[in-house]
Amino acid sequence: MKKQLIELRVNGEPHELAVEPQRTLLEVLREDLGLTGAKEACGTGECGACTVLMDGKSILSCLTLAIEAQGKKITTIEGLAKNGELHPLQKAFIRHGAIQCGYCTSGMILNAKAILDENPRPSRDEILKGLEGNLCRCTGYNKILEAVMAASIGEE
Amino acid sequence: MDELSYVGKSVPRKDGVEKATGRAVYTVDMVLPGMLWGKILRSSYPHARILNIDTSRAERLPGVKTVITGKDTLGIKHGFVETPRYPPDQYPIAMDRVRYIGEEVAAVAAIDEYVAEEALSLIKVDYEELPAVFDPEEAMKPEAPEIHPSHPKVKDPCKNIGGKTETGWGNIEKGFAESYLVREDRFEGQLRTHCYMEPQATLASFDLSEKLNVWTSSQGPFIKRAKLATTLGLPFNNVRVLKAYVGGAYGGKVDLFSHEFCASLLSIKARRPVKIVFTREEVFQASRHGQPILVELKTGVKKDGTLVAQQVKVINNSGAYRGSGVVVIFLCWGFVMLSYRIPNLKYEGYSVYTNNPVRAPQRGHGAPNLRFAVDSQMDMIAEELGIDPVEIRLKNARQKGDILPNGDSVRNCGLVECIEKVAKATQFKERYGKRKAQEEERTRRGIGIGVSSYFSGSLIYPNASAAIVKLNDDGTISLLTGALDIGQGVETILCQIVAEEIGVSIEDIRVVAADTETTPVDIGSWISGGAYVSGNAVKMAASDARRQLFEVAAQELECNPEELIAKNREIFVKGSPGRSISFTRAVAVSIAKCRGNPIMGKGYFRTMKDIPTHPSLATTKGRWSENYAFDAQVAEVEVDMQTGQVRLVKATTAHDCGFPINPLIVEGQIDGQVSMAQGHALWEQVSMEEGKTLTTSFLDYKIPCAKDMVESQYIDVITEKYERETPYRTKEVGEGYVSAMVAAIANAVYDATGVRVKNLPILPEKILMGLKEK
Repeated sequence: MKKQLIELRVNGEPHELAVEPQRTLLEVLREDLGLTGAKEACGTGECGACTVLMDGKSILSCLTLAIEAQGKKITTIEGLAKNGELHPLQKAFIRHGAIQCGYCTSGMILNAKAILDENPRPSRDEILKGLEGNLCRCTGYNKILEAVMAASIGEE
Repeated sequence: MDELSYVGKSVPRKDGVEKATGRAVYTVDMVLPGMLWGKILRSSYPHARILNIDTSRAERLPGVKTVITGKDTLGIKHGFVETPRYPPDQYPIAMDRVRYIGEEVAAVAAIDEYVAEEALSLIKVDYEELPAVFDPEEAMKPEAPEIHPSHPKVKDPCKNIGGKTETGWGNIEKGFAESYLVREDRFEGQLRTHCYMEPQATLASFDLSEKLNVWTSSQGPFIKRAKLATTLGLPFNNVRVLKAYVGGAYGGKVDLFSHEFCASLLSIKARRPVKIVFTREEVFQASRHGQPILVELKTGVKKDGTLVAQQVKVINNSGAYRGSGVVVIFLCWGFVMLSYRIPNLKYEGYSVYTNNPVRAPQRGHGAPNLRFAVDSQMDMIAEELGIDPVEIRLKNARQKGDILPNGDSVRNCGLVECIEKVAKATQFKERYGKRKAQEEERTRRGIGIGVSSYFSGSLIYPNASAAIVKLNDDGTISLLTGALDIGQGVETILCQIVAEEIGVSIEDIRVVAADTETTPVDIGSWISGGAYVSGNAVKMAASDARRQLFEVAAQELECNPEELIAKNREIFVKGSPGRSISFTRAVAVSIAKCRGNPIMGKGYFRTMKDIPTHPSLATTKGRWSENYAFDAQVAEVEVDMQTGQVRLVKATTAHDCGFPINPLIVEGQIDGQVSMAQGHALWEQVSMEEGKTLTTSFLDYKIPCAKDMVESQYIDVITEKYERETPYRTKEVGEGYVSAMVAAIANAVYDATGVRVKNLPILPEKILMGLKEK
């Protein structure tokens, strides 16, 4: 299919890309921009491993066409740390043992960020409800909840 | 004992920053220049003869670089177990016959995935369909079609027996005759799958020096190397399996898989790197799921609940090839005899070939299903005798110092303490058996208990682990270990051990891991031996380095090495803080005065050092492990009596893991296993019909999500110590705690509803049916 020119602003950096219209945002982030932090685990929007932020909202990049992201601000896990300083959620995930194999971690942290950006002091149930689309097979979610709770009250 | 500084502490995981920032590179993330994409053509028949394969049209498709079929291979079979009794039974690519839907028939390498996919559709395979059988008990009947007609057989009157384990002791008939109560029940496990988030993925690159480099999402590189080299006919040193981060495994990434072989052979033929990544649908349809087992259990007890005799028959549906089927029927024996004392036992296990996909170990490898059977029945017996579930378990529990029937000693065993503590913490006795009082409630609560035990490392290739600890000029450390971190945190605990032994901070250690070319051999992350076997190898290497360091320092400081202590890369004379030498100086002195020795510590460890080989899978004779972990778990559930929905509210785990090297990591292991047991007990099931996998996505296969999170409480029963410079006996924490919880949930559901479900999962309709029958 004929390629289209799009502009993406990813982690604050502008990119002009020629992409085939059927390609997903996930494919373009991973293959064209080398941002492999977003993962594919199902490719059909069931697991949340591909979660990124588009204009601050968490989206499934495997279900989003790259051309739909034209002109949008995208934040991937690679863009969360600022000047080498980890984001409080990243620190909390490490400290609270919320990471095991790490494959779901990028999507989980970004979705947690979207939750906290909208509601800085969510309840336990609001966090769990907000994260229910991000599957994790290692942790049972206990330490993930602890980490997000800690980050929400300013602990790391 | 000196106070411990690093071991026993909740140190954050070593790879945390890489994973939290998205920088950790998994096999699926890897790209090499000139890389091709590989795809696999799979059989669409459950059982058929291959008459002809025509690949010519696929080969002519622009963009296709190589096509391979069984004819391009050396025709060397492989197997999870390769022994004289159980010789390898599977070709890496089907030769003249396919035995399950999804079996690999051909593979292509092309410039991208789309071309590769199209090429598959151009390969023409002529099949002659053969009669197929899917149910293991059907497959055992004399009239069943034979799945491996020309393969060396396991001598047994039944058909399609891939493996048989038979053992026992005492006098079973006499035992039942003397019993006050004898119960017979049949428990059925379902087909489950691992749901590792990273799909199966392999990148193979055959380089110009004729070396095959392989990155693959696995559970240990050394077993992969051995089997790849053997099936490809390459010397071991020409096959290099390297580390990539692994996105979950849980048993499903051990053993050689055909896609790893195919990527390798395609790369050898095409002389370009070849990557194969499964779609999720392909993971469900063609990769190995867990072993579904049936348990027939006959148990005789005295009036006070003491076990007298137990007769166990286990039937495993292994699929078209043995996979780990012959291991799981051995292990189920072990999981019967470990937790409770059984004076008279008769055990027979059958692993049966059927025309289903091959099966793999799955976390606990038989223990969750086996313990579900034993501990469900234990509660049924307790009820009939009017004994409470805690008392009957205490009466039969394995005790410290017991010698098992195979000669193993359980040495330290905290099972009794686990049962007592978990019962106390959950107020089990006060809360159990309150069904009557809740009769009017729509949502009823129930509480249930289960126990289990697990081995910590055994003898199976590569049998042992080794490690090297190198001091750098500035006193920092490089640890070379073959261990592969699959998320369980092995790199972190190995660093804690090095830090403790040598007296450096965790940050001073860099790990080089899981590379068959540059790191020493490792037992692998699939035999519950990481902390014990690899841990002791690293402990020995670190203490060897420390000994060399102290010998040099003692000369410089004019004292005995025994008088020295190390901290923060500095060596001090005890009691004289002014007399010290830095690691930097000590390394320089060693190089100057010890003929260039830069200080490298070497360590190795193997369990059961005087035992030549693993126990007999057929007879169970021989040593199994020297280190057993124990646990007792309590489940608290809520059941909606109108819908039959069960909610696991809380899980309490009292466990004897010896000594927790990293309590935070241990807690994470427990949480993950509780969650897996929740899915196992309540929802998870792969549906098959005539060999076809109907479950193809996470929508069809529900695993626990965040909203299903279970409150998890931990009680440590510590039975071992960590002391510097001597081997330690810590126990496994990665597989045992998924096992007792399944039965605990089933028992809690019964406590709430009075419905006993004997075939997993405990779906709402089964509860509603049970209520209706009552």
